[in-house]
Amino acid sequence: MKVSLHWLRRFVDFDFTATELAEKLTMRGFESEVVSDFDSLENLVVGDVLTAEKHPDADKLKLCSVSDGSETFSVVCGAPNVDAGQKIVFAKVGAVLPGDFKIGKAKIRGVESFGMICSERELGISEEHDGIMVLDESHKAGTPIKEVLGPLFNAIDIEVTPDKAFALSHRGIAREVATIVGCKLKTPINSVKLNPKSKDVVSVELDKKGGCTRYIAGTMKGVKVGPSPKWLAEYLKSVGQKSINNLVDISNFMLLEIGHPTHVFDLKKLAKPGIKVSWAKMGEKFDALDEETYELSTDHMVITDTKNTVALAGIIGGMDSSVTDSTSEVLIESAYFDPVVIRKGSKKLNLLSEASRRFERGTDPNAALEAFNMIVQLMQEVAGGTLESVITDECSMSLDNTSVDLSSEKLLKYAGQEIPSKDVESILKGLHIDAKKTKTGWKCSIPTFRTDLKVETDLIEEVFRCYGYDNIKSSFNYSSIMQYANDEESTISSLKHHLSSLGFHQSYNNSLEDVEEVKLFGKDAVSVMNPSSERMNTLRTTLHSGLLKNLDFNYRNGSANTLIYEYGTIFEGKTDKLEDIIQKSSLSCLVHGDVFSKNVHFDSIPASFAFLKGVASNIFEDKRLGIKVKFSEQKHHYCDPYFSIIDGKKQVIGGLGIIKDSLLKQLDIAHKHEVVVLDVDPEIFTDYGSYSTKVEDIVTFPIVQRDLNFKMDSSIQVGEVVKTMKSVNQSILQNVIPVDIYQSKKDTSTKDVLFSLNFQSPKKTLEDNDVNAIITEIINIVSKKFNAKLRDN
Amino acid sequence: MSLDKTIKGLKTSFSKELSKSKSSQDLENLRIKYLGRNGQLASLFEEFNKLPAPEKPRFGKELNILKNQLTDQYQNALGSNSENSASSDVDFSLPGYDLPDGNIHPLEQITSEIKSIFQSIGFSVAYGPEIDDDYHNFEALNVPKHHPARDMQDTFFINPNAVLRTHTSNVQIHLMENQDPPLRHICCGRVYRNEAVSYKSFCLFNQVEGLVINETSSFAEMKGTLEYFVQEMFGKDTKMRFRPSYFPFTEPSAEVDIWNSKLNQWMEILGCGMVNPNVLSNVGYDNEKYQGFAFGMGIERIAMIKYGIKDIRLFYQNDKRFLEQF
Repeated sequence: MKVSLHWLRRFVDFDFTATELAEKLTMRGFESEVVSDFDSLENLVVGDVLTAEKHPDADKLKLCSVSDGSETFSVVCGAPNVDAGQKIVFAKVGAVLPGDFKIGKAKIRGVESFGMICSERELGISEEHDGIMVLDESHKAGTPIKEVLGPLFNAIDIEVTPDKAFALSHRGIAREVATIVGCKLKTPINSVKLNPKSKDVVSVELDKKGGCTRYIAGTMKGVKVGPSPKWLAEYLKSVGQKSINNLVDISNFMLLEIGHPTHVFDLKKLAKPGIKVSWAKMGEKFDALDEETYELSTDHMVITDTKNTVALAGIIGGMDSSVTDSTSEVLIESAYFDPVVIRKGSKKLNLLSEASRRFERGTDPNAALEAFNMIVQLMQEVAGGTLESVITDECSMSLDNTSVDLSSEKLLKYAGQEIPSKDVESILKGLHIDAKKTKTGWKCSIPTFRTDLKVETDLIEEVFRCYGYDNIKSSFNYSSIMQYANDEESTISSLKHHLSSLGFHQSYNNSLEDVEEVKLFGKDAVSVMNPSSERMNTLRTTLHSGLLKNLDFNYRNGSANTLIYEYGTIFEGKTDKLEDIIQKSSLSCLVHGDVFSKNVHFDSIPASFAFLKGVASNIFEDKRLGIKVKFSEQKHHYCDPYFSIIDGKKQVIGGLGIIKDSLLKQLDIAHKHEVVVLDVDPEIFTDYGSYSTKVEDIVTFPIVQRDLNFKMDSSIQVGEVVKTMKSVNQSILQNVIPVDIYQSKKDTSTKDVLFSLNFQSPKKTLEDNDVNAIITEIINIVSKKFNAKLRDN
Repeated sequence: MSLDKTIKGLKTSFSKELSKSKSSQDLENLRIKYLGRNGQLASLFEEFNKLPAPEKPRFGKELNILKNQLTDQYQNALGSNSENSASSDVDFSLPGYDLPDGNIHPLEQITSEIKSIFQSIGFSVAYGPEIDDDYHNFEALNVPKHHPARDMQDTFFINPNAVLRTHTSNVQIHLMENQDPPLRHICCGRVYRNEAVSYKSFCLFNQVEGLVINETSSFAEMKGTLEYFVQEMFGKDTKMRFRPSYFPFTEPSAEVDIWNSKLNQWMEILGCGMVNPNVLSNVGYDNEKYQGFAFGMGIERIAMIKYGIKDIRLFYQNDKRFLEQF
């Protein structure tokens, strides 16, 4: 909300610059930014345009000579409205405009320019940028701009949080400023008793179900639509609003002055001077002031002239009953609407207005009458009308202050330190809260404009806020003996570090993906009802999709070698019901290219299936898990081959596979080698912590190593041969490692496989005989089972 | 007997040739000639195999001695040769193996850092679902339906009653539903906001939130805790301030800014406040007896400040040239 210092001064006197005010309000809970602080702007003066001629080298530019009273400068200006004889805002070389825009010497189309003639937008005054700002002729060239524009246009922007409805006006902010400087609020418009000309009564009927609990109405006649007086237009201009005509301006002015929305109907366009507040009919069409047609539902509260809908209550007025240049009689509405009703109505139509923003946060019911009186007074003054009807005030709500107790014990407990009673009392008084001392604390009478103060903690917050958070001393009393700090993911964390030390990069991918892409991975996906873009409308069902994108991105950026992994949540759901949605943590790795590139020392080591299989064994066969894994081939939607990784209890704890080319093609993933993925079920790592090391005795007897070379059919899986060999003896045969496979180019139907066998006994030094018997058996079994032939070494 | 001679002859010629061998190539040739698979020594062994059985033991022994002698001599020569010519044969200027260089994602690094700061003062870590019902994400946290505070967090809906959580505060509710005070926890994870993607906002981000509930934890203690955190995270001399703010789930609420001396401005890094008594009663806690504070921060924001990153999307692009810098 843009707030003008000029406007604030209607209510309170203060000496702060815009920058200082923004800082003070920020520390009170009103986050503020400076829009324009002319006091801080140097090298900005009133300039006198002596000449303005066409730029020699550009049709749309003008070459001006500008005087600052003592010197004349050559300035290139692009504004169409610049002309000789104008008084303008001249930013000299060295000036810094709002938004950190520095003015330096410049050469524009070959002509040197010393400074700039400013538009309103460049000065932070309004959005006006079609031309330069032209000042009143009475100003003297050379006068610092802060003296000319500062008083009117110094402004700040305040982000008012949703709870602080009371602050959505200049008076609301001024109240806060008054508590900062410690003075009383002024009353710029004195309420006088209004005397109606006639005894006419506007009938007002409220709906019994609530929604609108106060409605004040009255009519005025003899109103003349015309331009606003200068003072009124200037206030609006000080917050960047354009003056439209006196009637519209008054209504806008009142909103920004005290924060209570009002509405003015053209009386002649109403069926009769009577108002009925009710609910819209389902599907009812409503032509609003913003030239849109809205389809209403029974949630919408509407204002009718007993026949037709003339306004969408608290949100926007109707087109047909709006004031125009020919309006001479008006009906003025000032009401209180239920915040939830306005909120629902405005959300449903996605229609936010200045009025709805205030009503949905909760307005002051007493301000309704105040606003009505002020608007009538202003109309009389500015537009010349007179109050015609008796003021109707239909009210079914309490207009009294509410009462909230504040206990001094609670205040102490919350703060953690004493806040002196006299400070508490003066803070409350400054906030217009009447606090009566009781045995336990204070009985506080809350003014109706503070709709946000309902319970004790609301008051505690006010006390803290005004006392200053900085004045509450911090305390730190964590003892050295702490409760056990638990983190179930600490084991996953060590797994991540493990992978990283193996050379993997950790990825963080978007969980939201394109449904068309998600579908390719073949699972029931969960979609978002209101995506921000079609590219991100569905939750990922696997981490593979993101990792593939990472491969593609890096490949296209010159890095073919990819070792990546991600740990994150994946989602699946047969329906969008919460109980049908499975969301679980998952960890996947993807490799492509080389682990080691070819270099002077050795050939490349590819990031192949075998590499990732090794990574899998390395991860799962961690001592702390005590798992022996098996790889079991399975059919897979988009991998070929794909192996489930199974632990000793026959549970699937992961998977390993090569992504099918067809999927890579569909997703257009750049690659040149096989793309291998590994899935790891992170849950098995949660038992990590319970592992306690038991050291085994180190076997000191020597290892006997033997080699066996078999010729066998090419189709035989070496892993199966190893398994068979191992099954022959489990006491002294420690390991069987295939060390070499040779296939001659002439005969591809067979291959030679060299196995290295290690024998070791924990009890004694092995003799040849111990080993030979086993070797013989192995040769027999392998020869028979695989039809393999032992070859001479 | 001829074998005896052959052994002797072999010995002599080997020694002679060995003394002439200068380079490692000479030595290798020598090895092949005498000790290789088809070398002279090997053919001697072949001859030995043809000998009648009674003669075998004696020649076997001799041959073995010969083999050991020649091998030793060769090894010695090889050793001294490589000592002499080490610098000429091996190029020590070559680069070492280029070992693959992995990393931990910067967001993970910051999260871990934050976790360990709070773990050092006794906070446990809790996790919870990313899709949750409206109640746990909003209502239990004192954000009723049709409340303007809902506009503070643009929400992705899965169905009218289930959302992608907008903060990890839903974990706090689950925690309090399952556990009685005292509580001292942080929660962390992904949260989602339906905002346009740009250099400064993404549709999701990572959060760490904290919750302390007991009978005495005060605003002063909250300040002390967060001052400790800021000093650990950003350095002992970090200038910081608490300024009043509004969150529906805390009251009084504050935002914490730290001073950025490079940009000469305050930067908001976290939100905090005393847990709203409505939140405590929603989970069945006695809000007259218990009180406490909560806080929350965005990891991306902190990482951007700490590492000087200007575009939030970099975190989710996984460009190796970016990741390798961490």
